Amino acid sequence: MSRVIVVTSGKGGVGKTTTSASLAAGLAKKGYKVAVIDFDVGLRNLDLIMGCERRVVYDFVNVVQGEANLKQALIRDKRVDNLYILAASQTRDKDALTEEGVGKVIDDLKADGFDFIVCDSPAGIEKGAQLALYYADEAIVVTNPEVSSVRDSDRILGILQAKSRRAESGDAPISEHLVLTRYNPERVDSGDMLAVDDVVDLLKVPLLGVVPESQQVLNASNAGEPVILDEESDAAQAYMDVVDRFLGEEKEHRFLTAEKKGLFSKFFGK
Amino acid sequence: MSKIIDLKGSILSLTVLKLYDDRFEVTRDALEQKVAQAPDFFVGIPVVLEPQVALADATFLALLVEFLHQKRMIPIGVRTEDEQIKEQAEYAGLAIFPNTPDKPARPEKPRAASSEDEAGLKSALMIAGSVRSGQQVYAKDRDVVVMGSVNPGAEVVADGHVHVMGTVMGKVFAGSSGETGARIFANRLNPELVCIAGMYQLAEDIDDQFKNGFMEVRLENDKLVFNPDCLN
Ligand SMILES: Nc1ncnc2c1ncn2[C@@H]1O[C@H](COP(=O)(O)OP(=O)(O)O)[C@@H](O)[C@H]1O
Ligand SMILES: [Mg+2]
Repeated sequence: MSRVIVVTSGKGGVGKTTTSASLAAGLAKKGYKVAVIDFDVGLRNLDLIMGCERRVVYDFVNVVQGEANLKQALIRDKRVDNLYILAASQTRDKDALTEEGVGKVIDDLKADGFDFIVCDSPAGIEKGAQLALYYADEAIVVTNPEVSSVRDSDRILGILQAKSRRAESGDAPISEHLVLTRYNPERVDSGDMLAVDDVVDLLKVPLLGVVPESQQVLNASNAGEPVILDEESDAAQAYMDVVDRFLGEEKEHRFLTAEKKGLFSKFFGK
Repeated sequence: MSKIIDLKGSILSLTVLKLYDDRFEVTRDALEQKVAQAPDFFVGIPVVLEPQVALADATFLALLVEFLHQKRMIPIGVRTEDEQIKEQAEYAGLAIFPNTPDKPARPEKPRAASSEDEAGLKSALMIAGSVRSGQQVYAKDRDVVVMGSVNPGAEVVADGHVHVMGTVMGKVFAGSSGETGARIFANRLNPELVCIAGMYQLAEDIDDQFKNGFMEVRLENDKLVFNPDCLN
């Protein structure tokens, strides 16, 4: 049975696209058939992070508007089997996506036997973000440990509960998961950032994982590779945990505390 | 330099007098009867007039204002979109309120919207989880019980009492139609605003000592009273 997952946040630049790419790649590596869709019409950067920007011929908007079929537009990932990308369009107007059109694409993907359909949401709480979450069965809310990001996530959670198809039809509500990204324990200790407990306390959504702030994420996105494939890095391991927990495994949370300072830094300060 | 005045936006609860008849004498007699039933209740209350009919008699509002003053009520304005009534109101020295809906619009449906239907027992409106930023819950003619928290940027409004099992971090309004006996109860209160029957206090005006532990807020002599000991 297919599951539709929206990766959303309210605020921009918190790590939705990074998370979508790694989640999709991680699920595909486990053997599931996965499609990841970029809903950020106009910005289009999922294909850059996935490293397939030169292979985009037809995009999501073309399919919704009937100018191409799904088979033509789905880009097959070269590194991971069973992983497909549906890119956003860079030039079209933001109203190019419609609820019906999106619904049809999702139904077609389900009929094609995709196990997971990951929807990478644009920022905001308006139409684009609402379309991305409308058909979701599961929501991954991406938050940074700062007040404005948490506030925006709270708003998007309210919208998930009120404006999704599941809410409108009275079905079981969307299951919600929290991913806290760009977490920096040193800055939490110094009081510049919110602690993980404070965020979970306010949002009251089960924590799927904490992804540390990491240079590896920037390197990976510059290289056009989902960071989860850079297996040695902290960020990749954090995302692997996220995937395992999403699939129901119980795992202890990692990357929550600052690394102990070595003798050297003890003697010489920072 | 000390402050001389302070002009702030305000949330007031006003009595609205709806007028269904354009004859002054008939209206006056009806009012006379009403006031006779509870003369003290009407002394000093601010009243907004809301004509539901055209007022052809150009002196209607002026006469009504005079009559209300005699009854020691304080007419302060008219709520209308009718140009001719606006003109009369200006002449009678009344403020003009635009005819906006009674309650602020609800931007998003609260989670427990389905329990808001009017059928059956009119007990408290139950909200299963937290009220989130951007959401507004309104319990008409009854209490509201929020099982979770009222998050920053959320609003909970009730004509009756407001009970919050978690923490109030947003805005809460009890007695929003003027019920001065309405109270607010919270497991913890660290709100953006609390308001009972139009009297409100902002976060910055609330003493920090009241922001920990169970709290009751009620109205006494037109003042909000914070009572941490209400359970003892
Ligand atoms: N864990 C992380 N550590 C460091 N940088 C990160 C991390 N996650 C995301 N970023 C960076 O933050 C920026 C925004 O990320 P992106 O995934 O595009 O966010 P969104 O899709 O929410 O706008 C990118 O430059 C990305 O490389
Ligand atoms: Mg993005």
